[in-house]
Amino acid sequence: MMFVEIENLKVTYLGKDKPSLVVDRLNIEEGEAVLITGKSGGGKTTLVSVINGVIPHLIKAEVEGKVKVFDLDVFSSNLSKISRYIGTLLQDPDTQALNYYVIDEVAFGLENYMVPRDEMIKRIEESMKITGIYDLKNREINTLSGGELQRTVLASVLAMRPKALILDEPTSNIDPQGTKEILELIKKIREEGISLIIVEHKIERVLEFVDRILVIDGGKIILDIKKDEIVDYADVLHSLGLEVPDYMIFLKKSGLKVIDYEFLKKNYHPSPPERKDGKGEALYAKLKVKTKGGNYIVDTEISLREGTITALMGRNGSGKTTLLKGIMGLLDKKQVIVEEEKVKVFNIDLSKENLIVRGAYIAYLPQFFDVMFVKRKVEDEIAFSMKNRKIYSKEKLEEVLSAFSLTEVRKEDPLLLSMGQRRRVALASVLVGGAKVILLDEPTSGQDWYHREMLGKELQELREKGYTILVVTHDSRFVDKFSDYLYIMDKGKIVLKGKPEEVFPKAEKYGIEPTMDWVIRNESSC
Amino acid sequence: MNPLVDQIVSWIMVFSGSLIPALIIVFLIGLTGLKEITKYEAYNTFFYKLNPVTKFIFLIAVIALISTTIWWIGAIFSSILLFSFLTLKDGVKRFSYASFLFISSLLGGTWDTAPFLSYQALQRAFPNQNFTVIWVFPSYFTVMGYDKELTLQALFFALQVSFRVAPLILSGLLFVMTTSTAEIFRMFTKVKVPIPITFSVLVGVRTIPRIFELLDTSVKMQYIRGLGYGKPKFVQSLLIVEAIFLAIVPTIVYLFKGAKNMGISAATRGFMAYPKRTSLEELKFTRLDYYFFVIIALIIAVAIIANILGFGRTISTAGGF
Repeated sequence: MMFVEIENLKVTYLGKDKPSLVVDRLNIEEGEAVLITGKSGGGKTTLVSVINGVIPHLIKAEVEGKVKVFDLDVFSSNLSKISRYIGTLLQDPDTQALNYYVIDEVAFGLENYMVPRDEMIKRIEESMKITGIYDLKNREINTLSGGELQRTVLASVLAMRPKALILDEPTSNIDPQGTKEILELIKKIREEGISLIIVEHKIERVLEFVDRILVIDGGKIILDIKKDEIVDYADVLHSLGLEVPDYMIFLKKSGLKVIDYEFLKKNYHPSPPERKDGKGEALYAKLKVKTKGGNYIVDTEISLREGTITALMGRNGSGKTTLLKGIMGLLDKKQVIVEEEKVKVFNIDLSKENLIVRGAYIAYLPQFFDVMFVKRKVEDEIAFSMKNRKIYSKEKLEEVLSAFSLTEVRKEDPLLLSMGQRRRVALASVLVGGAKVILLDEPTSGQDWYHREMLGKELQELREKGYTILVVTHDSRFVDKFSDYLYIMDKGKIVLKGKPEEVFPKAEKYGIEPTMDWVIRNESSC
Repeated sequence: MNPLVDQIVSWIMVFSGSLIPALIIVFLIGLTGLKEITKYEAYNTFFYKLNPVTKFIFLIAVIALISTTIWWIGAIFSSILLFSFLTLKDGVKRFSYASFLFISSLLGGTWDTAPFLSYQALQRAFPNQNFTVIWVFPSYFTVMGYDKELTLQALFFALQVSFRVAPLILSGLLFVMTTSTAEIFRMFTKVKVPIPITFSVLVGVRTIPRIFELLDTSVKMQYIRGLGYGKPKFVQSLLIVEAIFLAIVPTIVYLFKGAKNMGISAATRGFMAYPKRTSLEELKFTRLDYYFFVIIALIIAVAIIANILGFGRTISTAGGF
């Protein structure tokens, strides 16, 4: 039986005059595992939303053509019927969970489908064991890590015993440890014979679990290849802005069609990215933060060299965000105890200063920076910061708009811009006050490679202008390509620091793995 | 008095009536405090162990009591409710937040009602009484619906009205803080509330604490961007009101995006597949629930007895509302 049969599909969102997705024909066999990849906004989510029936049953759109899953017509069947066959796991674990306890979350789907209690208990136990969360069953959802939460929602989906799974970027918002857990789980699911569609940017990480790769761009399937053909298409994938390891492109250029590690060892000797040493100290901070119960969340010192990009990595809950918030003075002292707080920027002591003063020296972008957009035009958004700091002039505004390539969208609502443009508006808004040190909390999370690469280049441009940057990230590839220093944080302390070449080899015990590109490069240079 | 001073004082009274309760909420409770008193956290004291149906019936009994009896019964009951916050997780902290909210709702409620009360309405509530005028508003205030004269009796009457709202807020918070989303879902299903309504309540319960968290981030980001820069500290603090106002749109937009995901996640897990749901855990009534039913019965008995003794809401001669 076919898992998916699509013919002459056109999906047009309400208010749009042309289709966002056009698929002439697509078949996926039962038991097959397919990776769907492509740049953000290309139509990946639209395709899987049609397959699982979310379009048109939940998200209204004009649909033409025929879509069948396991012989069930998607457009004429109701969503709950389709969901019996296809389970869906979304990107953001936080917005999916509805319940307070793990066990209640796992039971959610079964309760909806009126599964009798005895059967429910059996299935919950089974799916919790598969996903490895059995010991967490009575835990509160808000105490789980990103990986644990994703596994909880996946357990809830698996408990419904679907014949197929759609995993829509299941690892993009979680740490490397969580990613590893999810990928191991995918391997198990494959062994169970469940059909699989994975939407993912990290092609290399999921390659071993899939049979086939579909690339979607501009609302069309532009490439449909077997996984063994990936080297042969590495240059095409790279030109499409997708995350293809450099060594694959090298293999392709060398005329090889498969991954040959011996060949790489002998012939692949790329030079590492140029890394800056930096000048003096731009930022020094020492922080001791503990919970009301007395457990230290952060107890560490950090120093950033002027004109460098430093990446800060570590497991979820290791204290990275708390450290950034502590430096900015953002910690809520009703919730935590700040035992020690020293913050110096270019030797100016900010330890006793409030947010307003610190903001003039340090720019900070939280992970979900959209909530900072308080004006309905880009130019007003930036002018808001300038007027606050009493440095507003029309000339200066033009200068900033131009420097951040925002002149063309100056009249647009910041909330309606693309991710890259929104980030530039946010950066311009926090930097316009004169800060020379930038703290970014997980800006790579949930981003495709095209956008991460764009971010990396923007940060390097800022570095060239003399800015000092600290980026919290889970993305080893981004760190390798764009950072000068790498710090690893564990249990509230910075435990490793140095150039990525020095730190990556020692970082595995803290849940950090370098990319294969890095591994091959370093093996071949030995 | 100087007419100019009259005008200024009148306008200060208008604004402070709304501003003081808002400032209590912003400065004494804060956005994180509001988050604290709107989210469920597991614990093991009395209220947490009750069946949600019992708590729901309790809520209804509270409504019945305060809507049918004289104001001071509501006031006494509010105090009992308020002190019961001490039994919750982080009880002292939650008690203090709830107290500020209680005071704020009393002040806000009183001031939002008193100036609009007409002489005729007051005469019905306080027959055969001479009214004590404490302030005379400029005549054009009647355009805003204000009565020209503010009397002591109007303030007293408005305070009584506020005492009808306060216990409702407190018991609602008690319910939200001690009942998990799954319990609410199961309880609503049991009492046959339509699933779409249940889901709306569920999303609300889960979203409200998040609203305060996002508002807090947005507000702090505005300060980082220099809001209040170069101004005296007390002005910087006051600007939080403007910052919260500005933060509403991005917060709501952000939440809508999350709500879409939540909707998809629920729908693809069979939500509303059937008009009913089964339940992993049977909501059982324990001995504790039966004890609490006695308390609920007492509440209803108080309402009935109060009405019989002339302390019902409709008895105007009791000198109250």
